[in-house]
Amino acid sequence: MILQLLAGNLIHGLLLGGVYGLATMGLSLIFGVMNVVNVGHGAFIMVGAFITLTLFSVLGISPVLAIPVALLMGMALGFFFFYTVMRRLIKAPELASLLATFAIGILLEEVVKLIFGADFRGYNWGLGKIVLPITVIPLSKIYAFIGSIVIALFLYFWFSKTRLGTAVRAVVEDSEGARVCGVNVGWIYALSFAIGIGLTVMSGVMLTMFIPVGINPYMGGVYTLKAFVIAVLGGLSSPYGAFFAGLIFGLIENGAYVLFAQIPGVAPFPLTVSLAFWMLFFLLLIKPTGLLGKK
Amino acid sequence: MSSMLRVENLESGYGSMQVLWKPSLEVKKGSITSLLGPNGAGKTTLLQTILGSVEPSGGSIIYEERDVTHSPTHEKVDMGIVLAPEGKHLFVGMSVHENLIMGAFPKEAKKYIDASLSMVYSLFPILKERTKQIAGLLSGGEQQMLTIARALMSKPKLIMLDEPSQGLAPLLVQLVFETIEKMKVEIGLTILLVEQNVEASLKAADYVYIMHEGRIKAEGGPEEIGASRDIREAYLGI
Repeated sequence: MILQLLAGNLIHGLLLGGVYGLATMGLSLIFGVMNVVNVGHGAFIMVGAFITLTLFSVLGISPVLAIPVALLMGMALGFFFFYTVMRRLIKAPELASLLATFAIGILLEEVVKLIFGADFRGYNWGLGKIVLPITVIPLSKIYAFIGSIVIALFLYFWFSKTRLGTAVRAVVEDSEGARVCGVNVGWIYALSFAIGIGLTVMSGVMLTMFIPVGINPYMGGVYTLKAFVIAVLGGLSSPYGAFFAGLIFGLIENGAYVLFAQIPGVAPFPLTVSLAFWMLFFLLLIKPTGLLGKK
Repeated sequence: MSSMLRVENLESGYGSMQVLWKPSLEVKKGSITSLLGPNGAGKTTLLQTILGSVEPSGGSIIYEERDVTHSPTHEKVDMGIVLAPEGKHLFVGMSVHENLIMGAFPKEAKKYIDASLSMVYSLFPILKERTKQIAGLLSGGEQQMLTIARALMSKPKLIMLDEPSQGLAPLLVQLVFETIEKMKVEIGLTILLVEQNVEASLKAADYVYIMHEGRIKAEGGPEEIGASRDIREAYLGI
């Protein structure tokens, strides 16, 4: 019985893990290229969720189409915040960019609250579900998982095969080296920030498939924290590392929930929330460069 | 010979610290111009200012009769001003091949990528053997060659070499200087060479500038500079 429960939850964990992975790739990309930790990360996930909600429940547009819309709006936001704020902070002390991204996060939350209010909302795509002997999986979750993998693969090929993608990797490795090769490093910063935010907003679309009534202006905070843990697991500046770490994180989180529930007198949910930090604690203790990190 | 690059009264520095105090120099087309001077003289800063990674605060940079003083670095690289930087700045996580491909990033250079590849592989056969190896795992000498090779991939007209023989064994130093000669004679490049190795530089150079404390202190043909006891004792320490 418990094994059945565990297996069922691990399937859900894997599906959610794919979305976690996608949600962390943008964070890792921005950190890798610009050395900026985006503390407002979760707010961009929230924006993606509201884009999906609005398109679906106001305009009747499918969440599948919300994905490209989220990418475009995310990149537009990314370029906007890069040229207004982040561009000035690349060479500034780290505290400046931490505060700036923190402020951007609050700004987004409050703007969304002003428009939509602070209630918890949700939508029902009504796609149907797959009934397995051990668990029931809504089709929308499978779509979100496949979507996340497709986007991650697309990013992988963009990085490894295209001229511009290679230039981004070159800037991550040695920005001065990239500069002498004729790369417009300032433009790569802007583009990477925009792509990073675009990915993050897209992951917000995927996430709505896992939180039936959890869309709220302040939903992002918990995902910022999870993304930090996943990014460290994945070696901090590697978007692929982040994706695999997301899968692992989803599996551990959902698996642990079942196990925690077996302990008498323990509330499994709060314990699961704290798990991320136990993982971070022990990881930093044992392998400070991250589970998949180099050196 | 006509002028490839003219630097006039250039001023730059880092923050409030001025490093360049109006040095002027000229690099003639098809020549090797050598810039000598002790550590901290501002030689590297001069190259970085010419390329634009350090912003000039005064003076002018004329390249092929065009004022490029405030052109951004990537435009200068597109025009054919290329730097093989001190400290290499290779992409250590990428393969030798990928490093070379990055060298051909400028649009104009991309068109000649195959010809450039066979050219650098014939100049540095060892790199051809290492083509799939990660750059970070190369020896110091191989990394230095890759740095020069990557710069050559950018289709330079003017190539600036910052301490290309630094930290190399004597045999490799000789190889690097032979390569510099080849780059001038066989490929027809114009070379601005910054070096600590005074003897080898004087032998290779067509014209020499002596830099000290951000200023040009002397200039002349290599025989003239090499023969001057005062210059050798005051600035070159030999």
